[in-house]
Amino acid sequence: MAAREPGAAAGTAAPLPITVEAVSKAFGAVQALVDVDVRVRAGEFLSLIGPSGCGKTTLLKIMAGLVPADRGRVTIGERVVTGPGQECSVVFQDFALLPWATAQRNVEFGLLLRGVDPAARAARARGAIAKVGLGGFENAYPAQLSGGMQQRVGLARALAVNPRVLLMDEPFASIDEQTRRVFQDDLLGLWSQERKTVVLVTHSMEEAIYLSDRVVVLSPRPGRVHQTLDVPLPRPREAGDVRATAEFARLVDGLWKVLRKLQ
Amino acid sequence: MVLALRAASVVAFLLLWEWAARVPISFAFPSPGATLAALVALVRSGALPAATLISLQSLLLGFGAAVLIGVPLGLVMGVVRPVGRVGRVYLDLLIALPTAALVPLVILSFGINVLSSAVIVFVFSAPFVIMNAYGGVRDVRPRLVEMARAFDASWGQLFTRIVLPSALPMILAGIRYALSRAFVGLIVAELLLSPFGLGRLIMSSRSMFEHDRMFATVLWTLLFAGTALAAVARVEARLLRWRA
Repeated sequence: MAAREPGAAAGTAAPLPITVEAVSKAFGAVQALVDVDVRVRAGEFLSLIGPSGCGKTTLLKIMAGLVPADRGRVTIGERVVTGPGQECSVVFQDFALLPWATAQRNVEFGLLLRGVDPAARAARARGAIAKVGLGGFENAYPAQLSGGMQQRVGLARALAVNPRVLLMDEPFASIDEQTRRVFQDDLLGLWSQERKTVVLVTHSMEEAIYLSDRVVVLSPRPGRVHQTLDVPLPRPREAGDVRATAEFARLVDGLWKVLRKLQ
Repeated sequence: MVLALRAASVVAFLLLWEWAARVPISFAFPSPGATLAALVALVRSGALPAATLISLQSLLLGFGAAVLIGVPLGLVMGVVRPVGRVGRVYLDLLIALPTAALVPLVILSFGINVLSSAVIVFVFSAPFVIMNAYGGVRDVRPRLVEMARAFDASWGQLFTRIVLPSALPMILAGIRYALSRAFVGLIVAELLLSPFGLGRLIMSSRSMFEHDRMFATVLWTLLFAGTALAAVARVEARLLRWRA
């Protein structure tokens, strides 16, 4: 089973590019996505944004191999996606934690499924928990943690398997504003330490601009790529006062002007 | 507070009983004192322990089979949808029917012995074990399945790591309820048919007009069932500590 373990030497897994080519998806009579093309560069932080119902979560799930595309193709690195793969981790909006397991056991979950032995599992999970700033809460159950802390467990679980691609589905949507800002800074800090390709689905314009290298705007049903915006804000952003700059305000406003026309 | 209330309720119950015996409701209605004395005598003579041991055999056999067969069956019904659709119909019938009506059929088929009591215990309890295991699987949060799938979990891993632990609270609740049903089935079976066990002791005492002995046996049966249920509830609480 050890051979299945991705990035056995933790911390060395290089990020992978993602190519989405002409992907279409319908649910019954509802056309969710039509001819979507997205290229995510290796190590890039890319956001998907659009009006609700534009299929951005569906697109993320297709990338994760959780939902099959009707037409088109997704490639992660060299692998054509036909199902979930070991190089990807997903972070869910509602955290998707196991209520019967402690934070430690939740973070170990991906490693457990991949057959990592118990000692290595425990050590790597502890490391991931420390990384997301939850050291000391290893033995807490999800119900004993706040929403923000639960999502930190969700992020630690995703990072523990040392993925080369991190797919995040509105990870901050269920978290209050103050917690969210701190969490976003921590995420950027983590990302600068271990480069991963990140695809983030969000409906927050500020979040998309603050975190991303590029923002892909999807049009409402059926979802298509409407426009792709570059975010030329210098990094690291988490240390400074980027949110207060005129440039940040200008970029958010530019994104808003694009989105407003789509409503 | 709860403890005081509990103690008070026991005292109130005993007072009510004493009063009812003195009214008297009927000449046959035994007082708490007479019942207690009969209980002690029955334990000393060995009649009650012997009857309990026999009843315990039927109970363990029938209830054990209900759990060992019911849980896997319910899980299969939950996982394999067509099986669940078909099984549900029988389950609903078994739960809705007055199960006691099946007792004569069971006696005809199995004869009068410990096995037939066990079969009746099984028929009384198994539907609830199956139903809850089935419901537990149906109630698994799809998001947790999706999460495990995102980690490329195999089918077996999905079942053991997500489905089973998700269904466990309902499975255990079903087992606990089924145990109380098992006691009902046990006594019904023994009252109606068997020449042994606690039900028999109740019937024979009644026919001899030894109402204090009859009442003592009923009381003993209640204590027996109550203790068994409390034990199961304890195991349940221990296994589901994460819910506290």
